[in-house]
Amino acid sequence: MQKLPKIQVDNFNLHYGNFQALKNIDLYVTEKEITALIGPSGCGKSTFLRSLNRLNDLIDSVRCEGKIMIDNQEIYSKSCDVVSLRKKVGMVFQKPNPFPKTIYENVAYGPRIHKVRDRKKLDMIVEKSLREAALWDEVKDDLNRSAMRLSGGQQQRLCIARVLAVEPAVLLMDEPTSALDPIATQKIEDLIRSLKKSLTIVIVTHNMQQAARVSDTTAFFLHGEVLEVGSTAVLFTSPKERRTEDYITGKFG
Amino acid sequence: MNEQDRKLFLPETMPFILLRLTMILVFLAVVYIFYDIVKKGFGVISFEFITAPPRSGMTAGGIMPAILGTIYVTFITALAGMPVGFFAAIYLNEYAKRNLLTRIIRLSIRNLAGVPSMVYGMFGVALFVHSLSFGTSILSAGLTLGLLTLPVIITTAEEALKSVPDAYREGALALGASKWHSIRTNVIPSAFPGILTGMILGLSRATGETAPILFTGAAFFLPRLPTSIDSQFMALPYHLFIMATQHHAVEKVRPLAYGTAVVLVTVVLAMNFAAIVLRAYYRRKLRG
Repeated sequence: MQKLPKIQVDNFNLHYGNFQALKNIDLYVTEKEITALIGPSGCGKSTFLRSLNRLNDLIDSVRCEGKIMIDNQEIYSKSCDVVSLRKKVGMVFQKPNPFPKTIYENVAYGPRIHKVRDRKKLDMIVEKSLREAALWDEVKDDLNRSAMRLSGGQQQRLCIARVLAVEPAVLLMDEPTSALDPIATQKIEDLIRSLKKSLTIVIVTHNMQQAARVSDTTAFFLHGEVLEVGSTAVLFTSPKERRTEDYITGKFG
Repeated sequence: MNEQDRKLFLPETMPFILLRLTMILVFLAVVYIFYDIVKKGFGVISFEFITAPPRSGMTAGGIMPAILGTIYVTFITALAGMPVGFFAAIYLNEYAKRNLLTRIIRLSIRNLAGVPSMVYGMFGVALFVHSLSFGTSILSAGLTLGLLTLPVIITTAEEALKSVPDAYREGALALGASKWHSIRTNVIPSAFPGILTGMILGLSRATGETAPILFTGAAFFLPRLPTSIDSQFMALPYHLFIMATQHHAVEKVRPLAYGTAVVLVTVVLAMNFAAIVLRAYYRRKLRG
């Protein structure tokens, strides 16, 4: 069965003031696949990720041109509603960022924004999301505990549950395990793989093994451009570009 | 002193001793002032002193009208200063662009904190008493003191908002929250301890001020209690000023002046203490 493109990026450029951070990005992200963005620090992969939910809008000096289509809808067009875009395109950040509220309130935060008021329904969403994020068994007896008391790995899974609670179709992950230990990292990776069933995932990672382990497609960013993109198996075993090979074998980075 | 100690004495031990001495000096000064006031004033503190008006040309009786007046004025000050300062800080930190204009505005607000309180008083006379025809009243005095609290409230609230990690804002926005929703449900609750501290410190400073209320509504002596916000009033700091310098029998009423000082200092310290307790409480609540 042919899978559909979920995200189509067409000649996308982004400038911070006079600095061009992204150059002529063309990229297809396939539905219900995991796409990894790799590349050295400052290559633009996080900036690109934040373009997909328009989080760069927050920065005054950012200008962008080109087209990003998600589900065939142009996200930078005037008719695009940022709130519903961000509901559809969830994001998990590098450093776990639970809100200083209870576990329950963290997960219910998103649904509450989107006008879910009924307590029973909220309870259901909270449980479902925490289960999907593989955190339920660890916290179910203590939902009113502060999220700040959880371990780093638990906090990150809570942040994932918080995103899942608004039922996104796309999940953006910005180095979600770089602040975590190997065991917590493995749990998150297992989780990412299981979420693939229902979600399209784009993950930025500095960890080459992680990209190789979890992703279907990998895009290699360098100096604001996509230097090479291809199936992960192929890109990691026989990259076309010499610089891709140098990077994944650790010659620079 | 061995070789190691001697080597470290100038670069390490000396500055440390100096810093500690400075701290002790400040601490002793505060303790001494406190001790002096309490020693000389505690004798007159009684149930009557707190609950009765002055009698016999203010040579006897209590200071109840001044306590009440200060409470009334502080209430108006809080009503005027807290919301304005709070919203101004939110605007400055969350919405205003960082450019030359907002830098100038920020600088001006910080400088307002250094404006002599008498200047606030004159400004209050011009604006509230005359231009807006509020007369010499609790309202005029309260609003004038409200202005005085603004720099403190805005500056501390802005610092508190600034210390809220951007990750909280982005986390909420990434879930589809509007900017105001994220500020209301996430940023403000996190900054609340700091904001509250600033508000109370601003108020406690205003409570102790004399100059801004001198021409805007405080009275030397009133036979009756104020009945509405356009009445004149007696206030603790002004009463203290009168008892200490303006009274026809200054020597005779000195204990009463010290007693007034004890009450005023207690009120201000109680407010500061409340700020500390509330801040600690909310910090703990946030940390969980």
